Amino acid sequence: MQSASNIPLGGWAGARSTIRPRAGVMMFAAILIASACLSAALASWLPLQLSIVTVFLFAGPHNWFELRYFLIRLPARFGRSRNFFAVAFAGIFLLTAVYLAMPAFYYAGLWSGVNWPDAIATWNTLLLLWVGALVMMRSRQSSRRDWFWALPIIFMLCALNWLAPQLFSLAIVYLHPLVALWFLDRHLRRTRPEWLPAYHRCLMLLPLLLAAMIWQLERTSSLADDNGLFWRITQHAGGDLLPNVSSHMLVSLHVFLELLHYGVWIVALPLIGATGAVWKVGTIPLARRQNGFPKLIGAILVLGLFAVALLWLGFSVNYPAMRDVYFAVAMAHVLAEAPFLLRMI
Amino acid sequence: MKRILIICAATCVLLASSIYAFGDIARPKTTPTPAAGKLVLHTGLQIVPDAKSYEARLQISQKTLDLIRGSGGTASANQTMTQRLMQSSGRTIMAGVFMFLAVSFAGVWLARSTQRRGQKAIAAVLLAAGVLGAATIIVRANAGPPGIYYWRNLPQNLTKGESTSGGLDIEIVPGDESGVRLIVPMRKKNESGEE
Repeated sequence: MQSASNIPLGGWAGARSTIRPRAGVMMFAAILIASACLSAALASWLPLQLSIVTVFLFAGPHNWFELRYFLIRLPARFGRSRNFFAVAFAGIFLLTAVYLAMPAFYYAGLWSGVNWPDAIATWNTLLLLWVGALVMMRSRQSSRRDWFWALPIIFMLCALNWLAPQLFSLAIVYLHPLVALWFLDRHLRRTRPEWLPAYHRCLMLLPLLLAAMIWQLERTSSLADDNGLFWRITQHAGGDLLPNVSSHMLVSLHVFLELLHYGVWIVALPLIGATGAVWKVGTIPLARRQNGFPKLIGAILVLGLFAVALLWLGFSVNYPAMRDVYFAVAMAHVLAEAPFLLRMI
Repeated sequence: MKRILIICAATCVLLASSIYAFGDIARPKTTPTPAAGKLVLHTGLQIVPDAKSYEARLQISQKTLDLIRGSGGTASANQTMTQRLMQSSGRTIMAGVFMFLAVSFAGVWLARSTQRRGQKAIAAVLLAAGVLGAATIIVRANAGPPGIYYWRNLPQNLTKGESTSGGLDIEIVPGDESGVRLIVPMRKKNESGEE
């Protein structure tokens, strides 16, 4: 591609070939900056309302796009990665099951919840050890990778988790949206390397926006969480864990990060072709290969669409309850991001 | 790698055994003590002598009042890290074990990467961080002087009619006394001026 672009073409065609990539980068950066600024402004202005609307509209579709993306990232044959994916899928399944079991046991009256922080700390530790195992397995797949340094970091995170388990869980809530930006970085590196410097410069805007939001909102009075839904939203953003911090600021920051997350999965990655042509099952290696599973993959995607429709229906009928259910079940997609991100590095 | 795992496992077993070794020791008898006050907020206090007023006043800003209200309702969630850790020795032990593992593996990683160019720089950074950390703990840097330092001139300032500012902990005490008590740290001075 590089050599082809260097072929001297006459007049108009040559001008077009040099101007378009530059214009593309500028357009990409402008869209990123405008979207981030608009999201920050809206999240600061109407945090609760925006939280309700964005989760209603985008939570389900973004999960479907992630599912589509993960399917396309699965290799046609696992080969040497068989053990890696076995550990990855087992971890996703077991950790999600345990995560769902904790509130289920509590609401069923089988557990008083008296050791809730210990249970959360244990789950977080299992999560970190699972990620550590995946990192080590991925590291061994290539002699060029020596990720032993990750182990002390994992253990230190385990220690911090045991010191403040609920704050550690809250940190996951805030950091998870940023993982999408890492995925976008890896894809740009592969598919649009010329956009990468502009993307990195745009990323530098993120801490500035966060600092500006904190500066503007830290002295605002906390949001009125006088009804069940508003209380749930402020609790999810850490209102109970950080009582001396304005819940307005917490919810605004969380909504802003969620908007970035949804934007990357629903708009940015499909636009740069990371998820393949959305309706074509043939772009998924597991379906395309000889003796593949095109019908199974197609069925999974169609079932996913039904799940999105069901989610919308649930939100329409009982938004607060459905929101709780969604954020509990959505832990599976948070977990699934870890192995697929490791495969991209 | 195998040797490291064995050493770590042996250490974990040793630590676990040390925990269980206290299993047969009878629990010490505790004498009932009066309920302690609950510290909910640290803020500032200024004592201003006023020649014109006839009644002492405790002025609290709206923001501070909101903070006290918020802290009073959620005092259990707003405990300090030390208080929370004191209530859960199990979690402290787990945190300690993982911290030990983290430091151990970091050391192994550092030793493994001795052939790398940056190992001296890493070692220097770690050493400097350790020295600075230890120095900070020893000299209690950044902690500031204790509150008594700011209140030491209160009697003289009151005599002169000047104001005195210092730190203040707002404490909610059990009981139904209607008044508000202000406790100011003060040391008696002997005639030679020594405390």
